[in-house]
Amino acid sequence: MDIDLSSTDLAFQQEVRDFLTTNAYNNGTDYAEWRLNWFKLAREKGGWDVTKWPEKFGGPGWSPTQHYIWEQETAVAQTPWDLPFGLSMLAPVLMSYGNKEQQNRFLPDIRDRKVNWCQGYSEPNAGSDLANLKTKAVLSEDGTHYTVTGTKIWTTLAHIADWIFCLTRTSDSGKKQEGITFLLIPMKQAGIEVKPIITLGGAHTVNMVHLTDVKVPVENRVGEEGKGWGYAKGLLAHERTGLAGISKSLAALENLRKQAGEVKRGNGTLLDDPSYRAKLAELEIDLLATEFTELRSLASAANGAEPGPESSILKLKGTEIQQRIQKLTVEAGGIYSAAWGPMPVGHLFARGGMSGYLSSRAYTIYGGASEVQRDVIAKNVLGIKKSQSK
Amino acid sequence: MNFDISSEQQILQDSVDRFVQDHYELDKRQLLVLTEHGFSKENWQTMAELGWLGVSVPEAHGGFGGNEIDTMILMEAFGKGLVLEPFLASTVLGAKAIADGGDEALKTEMLPGVVEGSRQLTLAYAEAQSRFDLEDIITHAKSDGQDYVINGHKSMVLHAGSAQQIVVSTRTSGGQADKAGISLFLIDADAPGVEITSFPTVDGQQASEIKLEGVRVSSTRLLGELDNGYELLNALATAGILALAAEAVGAMEILYKDTVSYTQEREQFDHALSDFQVLQHRMVDMFMEYEQCKSLLYRATLEVVQNSAGAQRSVHALKYYVGKMGTFIGENAVQLHGGMGTTEELRIGHYFKRLLVIDAQFGNSDHHLALFAA
Repeated sequence: MDIDLSSTDLAFQQEVRDFLTTNAYNNGTDYAEWRLNWFKLAREKGGWDVTKWPEKFGGPGWSPTQHYIWEQETAVAQTPWDLPFGLSMLAPVLMSYGNKEQQNRFLPDIRDRKVNWCQGYSEPNAGSDLANLKTKAVLSEDGTHYTVTGTKIWTTLAHIADWIFCLTRTSDSGKKQEGITFLLIPMKQAGIEVKPIITLGGAHTVNMVHLTDVKVPVENRVGEEGKGWGYAKGLLAHERTGLAGISKSLAALENLRKQAGEVKRGNGTLLDDPSYRAKLAELEIDLLATEFTELRSLASAANGAEPGPESSILKLKGTEIQQRIQKLTVEAGGIYSAAWGPMPVGHLFARGGMSGYLSSRAYTIYGGASEVQRDVIAKNVLGIKKSQSK
Repeated sequence: MNFDISSEQQILQDSVDRFVQDHYELDKRQLLVLTEHGFSKENWQTMAELGWLGVSVPEAHGGFGGNEIDTMILMEAFGKGLVLEPFLASTVLGAKAIADGGDEALKTEMLPGVVEGSRQLTLAYAEAQSRFDLEDIITHAKSDGQDYVINGHKSMVLHAGSAQQIVVSTRTSGGQADKAGISLFLIDADAPGVEITSFPTVDGQQASEIKLEGVRVSSTRLLGELDNGYELLNALATAGILALAAEAVGAMEILYKDTVSYTQEREQFDHALSDFQVLQHRMVDMFMEYEQCKSLLYRATLEVVQNSAGAQRSVHALKYYVGKMGTFIGENAVQLHGGMGTTEELRIGHYFKRLLVIDAQFGNSDHHLALFAA
C-alpha cells in the first residue's frame, strides 16, 4: 500500500493540468465550437474524451490512479458540459450486450456528442421497485418490430433527447424481473409525448414521457428478449458510482469555505462561528473517508471486477455529502437565502443556494433511493436473508 | 396545571380552521401567490371582520385585547393552510410595536385602521451586514428640530410592498453593534426618500429591500424610548418567533400526516410503503419531533405570557428546535414521498419551503442554540 504518486503519475498529472489550462474556455469565443473542439483535442490525446471506456472501444486504458488524478483535476478546471446518459450509462451496455452493428451504429455518435440520450426506466408505479414496470412492448407477428405503449417518469432531459433507452415489458409470466426487454427508441416521432415536471428548485430537468403505439424495429433491441433486467442491473451499478461525485464535492467544500469567509458575523466572519466551523469539519472528515472508499472501489474495478454492490456505499455517502454542502450554503446565506429568483439581495451565492438545496433533495431518491441502497447492502454485502417464519 | 384552551379560544380555533379549510386548498393558494401582492384582499377583509387583525390590539383601540395564546391558535391554523395574508407582519409585529411603544395619539390614529384591515403595517429590522443580530444596525436617525431624518438600507422586509406604514429600527447613538442607542420609528411607506423594491421569497410570499434617503419623520412617530428601543425590538422579535413557531408546528402536522397517509397508499415491492419498518420508524420520529416542537411552543408561549424568568431562554430553545426539526420533518416528508415529493405538484414541498424560510427568520437554529448556550 502506498498513497504517494509515482514519478510517472506526477508526470501524468502535469500533462493533464497542461491540457486543461491550454484548452480552457476564453470568454467571448463561441462556446459550442469550443466544446466540440475540446472533445476532439481530448480524443487526440488518446481517448481522453471517453476516459471510462475500455481501450478496446477507444478509451485511454488508464490505471485507477490516473482516473483519480483526472477526476481531481477536472473537478476544479473548466471542462465542457457533458451528459452521462449515452456516454456512461448506455455505452457500457452496448459494449457488453449489444451486437457489432449496434456498437458501430450508436457508439461513434455518442462519442462525438452528436446525439443526446435519455433513460426510460422509472414509471409512475415503478420507482424503487423498478421491476414493477408495465410499459408494454408487443412483437409483431412477422417478428420485424415491437409496438410500445406506456408511461415513463423522471426522465431527465427527455425534452432535448434524440433517443431514449427503455426498459419495456414483453412478458407477464414468471418473476417480475423476467420478461423485461431493452429497447432503443428515437424520441422525435409521433406517439411520443414529453410533459415537463417542475421540481422544488423551480427547474425543468425531468419529464413524463408517454409512449403510444410507438413502432420500434427489432434491430433496436439490445440483447435477447426478456433479458433486459440483467443488462440494466449492471448499468445501475455504473450509475451509482457516477453519482458519488467526490472530487466535485471536495471542490464545492473549498468554494463553500470561501463563501462563508465573505459572510460577516460580529467582528469576524461566519468561519469564526464555532458551530458552523464544526459542521464544515465534520463534512470534510466524511469526504476524506469517502474519497478513499472511492479509490478502493476504483482499484478493484481496475483488476477487472465489475462495480458491485459496494458501489451502493458511494452513492449513499456521496449524495448525503452533496446535500449537506447545499444545506450549509443555505445556512451561510442566512436570511437572504429566503429570496427567490434573480433579485440581487445579499451575497451572490445566497441567490442560488436555496434552489440548489431543494434540487439536491432528489439526490437521495433517484438512481435508487437511499432506503433501497441500504437494503441492497444488507442483502448482497452483509448477506442477510429473510428468516423462515416459525 | 392546564393545557386546555378556553371556550372563547375554542371558538376562535374552530373559526380559523374553517377559514383555512374554505380558502386554502393548494390550487387556490398558488393562484394567490401569482397576484400582485401575493395574497387576497378579500381574505384580508374576512380576517378583519372576524376580529383577527386586532387580536393583540387593546380593546380601548378597537381590538380583541388577546395575548400570545390567541395569536398561537391563529398562526398554527395558518401554518396548516400556508396562509399568505400579511398577518405576521401587520398584526403580530406592526400593531404590537404601536400598541406597546406608541403614545396615545399615535395609537388612536393608527390602530383602528389596522383592526379594520384598511391599514397594513410591517417591521424593517434586518440589514445586509446584520446577519441575525437585531442590534447590528447601521441605518441612522438624526434629530432635526421636531423631526428625525433617517438614512440607511433595510433588508428582507416582509410585505413592505403593500404596507402603508413601516416600523424601522435605527441607530440614534452608540456603535454599530451596541444594544444601547437604538430607536424605532414609524414611517410612511410613501414618504419622500423611501424606495421599496419587492420580490418573491422561496415560500411564495413577498419581501422587500428598502432604501431610506433623507426620510423625515416626526418625533411623535417614535416608538418606545429614544436610544432605548432594543427592549421593544427584542419583544417584537419574541412575538415574531412565537408566531412563526406556531405556524411551523401547523405545517409540520400536515407534513407528517400526509406522509403517513401517502406511504399507506403507495405500493412498491407488492407492499404498501408503510409496511417497511425502516419507514415506519422514520415516521414515528417525525411525529415525535412534531410533538416536542409543540411542547416547546406551549412552554415558551406560556412563559412569555406569564413573564417568567426563563422565558427568553425558552424562546431561544423553541426557535432552535423548530428550525432543526422543521428541516428534519420536511426533508423526510420529501424523501418518503420519493420522486413525487420533489415536485411542485404535491403540497408537501410547499410546506417544506415555508419551514425553511421560517428557520431563516429572526435567527436560524444555530444562532439561537448559541444564544441559549451563552
